[in-house]
Amino acid sequence: MTATATEPRQGRPAKDSRPTKSRHVDPTRRGQAVAAWILALPFCALFLVFTAGPVLASLGLSFTDLRSTDVRNPLGVEFVGLTNYADLVSDPLFRKVTLNTLLYLVLGVPLTMAVALGVAVALNRITRLRAFFRVGYYLPVVTSIVAVSVVWKFLLRDNGGLVNVMLAWVGINGPGYLDSTTTALPTLVVMAVWRNFGSLMVIFLAGLQTIPKEISEAAETDGASAWATFRYITLPMLRPTLLFGAVITSIGYLQFFEEAFVMTKGGPLDSTKSVTFFTYEQFGFGNYAYASAAAYLLFLAIVLLTLFQFRLLREKD
Amino acid sequence: MKRTATALAVVAVTSLVLTSCGRDEAGGGGEEQSKAISDGAATGTIEVWAMGTEGDELQAFSADFEEANPDAEVKVTAIPWDAAHNKIANAIASGETPDVSLIGTTWMGEFAEAGGLMPTPEGLVDEADFFPGAWGSTEVGGTSYGVPWYVETRALYYRKDMAEKSGWSEAPQTWEELHQFATDMKEKGGAEYGLSLQPGQTGSWQTVLPFAWSNGAAVTNEAGTEYTIDSPEMVEALDYYTSYFDEGLSPARMLDPGELESGFADGSYGAFISGPWHTGLVEEAGLSTDEYAVAPLPGKDSGPGTSFVGGGDLAVFSDSDNTDAAWKYVQWLSEPETQQGFYDTVGDLPAVQAAWDTGELAEDPQLQVFGTQLETTEAPPAVPTWEQVAATIDTLVEQASKGATKPEDAVKEMQSKASSIGTGL
Repeated sequence: MTATATEPRQGRPAKDSRPTKSRHVDPTRRGQAVAAWILALPFCALFLVFTAGPVLASLGLSFTDLRSTDVRNPLGVEFVGLTNYADLVSDPLFRKVTLNTLLYLVLGVPLTMAVALGVAVALNRITRLRAFFRVGYYLPVVTSIVAVSVVWKFLLRDNGGLVNVMLAWVGINGPGYLDSTTTALPTLVVMAVWRNFGSLMVIFLAGLQTIPKEISEAAETDGASAWATFRYITLPMLRPTLLFGAVITSIGYLQFFEEAFVMTKGGPLDSTKSVTFFTYEQFGFGNYAYASAAAYLLFLAIVLLTLFQFRLLREKD
Repeated sequence: MKRTATALAVVAVTSLVLTSCGRDEAGGGGEEQSKAISDGAATGTIEVWAMGTEGDELQAFSADFEEANPDAEVKVTAIPWDAAHNKIANAIASGETPDVSLIGTTWMGEFAEAGGLMPTPEGLVDEADFFPGAWGSTEVGGTSYGVPWYVETRALYYRKDMAEKSGWSEAPQTWEELHQFATDMKEKGGAEYGLSLQPGQTGSWQTVLPFAWSNGAAVTNEAGTEYTIDSPEMVEALDYYTSYFDEGLSPARMLDPGELESGFADGSYGAFISGPWHTGLVEEAGLSTDEYAVAPLPGKDSGPGTSFVGGGDLAVFSDSDNTDAAWKYVQWLSEPETQQGFYDTVGDLPAVQAAWDTGELAEDPQLQVFGTQLETTEAPPAVPTWEQVAATIDTLVEQASKGATKPEDAVKEMQSKASSIGTGL
C-alpha cells in the first residue's frame, strides 16, 4: 500500500523527473505503517485463531468421517474425499431443507426489501415525528427473539389466538398458522420481515438522504409525477444501496435459523427446517464431518449468489 | 505467493487440529476396568455439573457429605438442560471435564463410546438395589458407565369423575379397554378428546415406544449393534397409536405449553400419559386428588404395560483428577437415606428401590403408582446414535399421526434410516 501510494497514477505521463519506480519511502509513513500493523496485530491473531482457523479446519473435516465418538481417538478417522458431499446431495432431508431455504429466500428477500424501501421513502418525506417512527420500526430488530416468539405464538394460536379471534369477527375461520405444513413457513417469513426490515430501512434511509434534493425538485418543477420521480431518479440513484441491501438480506435469509428454531423447532414435518438448522442439528447428533460439509455447501451457495447479484445489478451502470 | 500462504495455512491448521486431538490415547470405548475405590474418607475438590433443579439444589444438599468428609470440597456448577449435551460433548473432546456430572440417560451411549466416561468400579454399589430399567440405562455394550441417580416413568392420568360418569370404576388394563375407555370418555363422559397423545414431534417416541415394548418389539438387538425397529409388533403398535388420531379420540395437533393441564382441568381431555411431574401441574390447574387418578399403563392383553424409564445417571469422567473422591461422592448420593433426602428437597424419584419403602414416598398413593410402574419399564438403547434415530422416529410418528404415511411404511422408513445411521457400536 505505502509503496504504490507515492507512485504517479498509471495512464498519466509523469510530469516531473522523478523515477517512476521510486525506492524512497517517507520515514514517517513507514513509522505509521508499523504502528498500524502493531495495532492491528491483536485482531489478526484473534481472527486467525478463532475464525480463520476453525473455518479452514472445518473444510478439512468435511473430507473425513469424523463423529463425536472419534474425537478422543482420532486415529480411527479416515479421509473419505467427497463422500459427505455425495451423501448430502442424495439425503432427502437435506434436499428438503435446501428447498425450504430457497423458499425463505424467494419469499423473504423481495418482501423485506419492498417493506424497508417503502417505509424508508415515507420516512424520508415526513419531517415531524421522524425519529419516533424510525425508532418504532427499528425496535423489533433489537428485541429478544425469544420474547418476540412467545408473543407471536400466543397471537397466532389456533384456539383463542388474537389473530384468529379478530378474523372470526369478520366471519373468517383462521387456520393454525404454525401447525400446518403449508402455512408455517410463510408465517415465519412474515415474522422475519417484521423483525428484520428495520435495519435495512435505516440503510435505505441513509441512501435516500445522499440524493440531492435539487434533482427531485427540478423534476417536480418539470411536472414529473411522484411515481416518475421515484422510478427515474430515486431508484437509479439508490442502486448501490439497493445492491448492498439485496446482498446482506439474501445472506441473512440463506442462514435462516432463529425464528424456526424458537417457533416451530423445524416442524411440522420438517417444513420450516433450513440448511443452517440442518447443520446445527447434525452437529448436535455428533456428525461433525457431515455438518461441516453441509456448512460448506451453504457457503458455496452464498458466494455464488452474491457474485450473481453483483453482476446483475452492476451491469446496467 | 498468496496462494502458497493460504495452502500452508490450511495444512498447518489441519495438522494442528489433528495432532492436538491425537495426544490422548486413552479414549475410544472403555475396555479398561476401573479399579475399586479405596477405603477411608474422600479428599480434595470434587467438581460437579448438574442441570435443572438438581443443579440449583445440589450444592446446599452436599453439605452433609462435606461434613462426613472434612477434607473434601464439593463444587457444583449449574448448567441449563438445553446447553448441557453440547457442553459435555465439548468438554470430553477437549479433556476439560469436571469430575462428576449428571448425564441424561439417552446420552450415555454417545459419551461412553467417545471414551469420556469411566466404567463403574467393582463393588461401588449393588446393581440389584436399583430399578432394572434404570440400571440398564448406564450399560453400554455390556459395561456400566455410571450409577442411576433419579428416575421418571410414564403412567396414565385420567379424570376419575368423568370416568365414573362414563361407566368406568377402574382404570383400563389392556389396549382394547384403553380404546373403549377413550371412546366412552368422549361419548358419555363429555370430553372433547378421550385420551391426549402426542402426534409426533420432539420426544413423542417416549410415548410411542412403550406401546411397542408392551407388544414385545425391540428397538435394537441384544448387543445393541443393530437396529431392529421394523417388526410386525412395532407396526401393530404404531397402527394402534395412530388410530386415536384417525378416530378423533386424540387431538391431532401439537398442544401449546399449558394447554394440556388446563384442558384436563376443564374436561376437554379425559386422559393423558405423562410422568410424575404432572401431578403438581394438574393440581395447580385446579384439580383435586378426588377428581383425577394415576394408573399404570395398560398392556397389550394384560396390565401393566411396559413404560418408558428416563431420568439422570451420575458418571465420573475419564479426565477427572480426583476419581476416588468422585466415586465416593456418587456412592453417597446412591444411599437410600440420601436419595430420600434428595426427594424431599427436589422431588426427584429415587432410583434406589429401598428409598421407596419408608418416608413420604411410601405414603403418597399417586407416587406409589409410579413406583409400581417402574418395575415394568424399559430404557431406550444406550447407543451413540440414539438421539439422531429418536429424532427420525419423531418425524415419522408425526407423518403417521397426520395420515401422511401408513404405519407400516413409516416403520419401514424408520428402519431404513436407522440402519443407514447405524448404532455406532
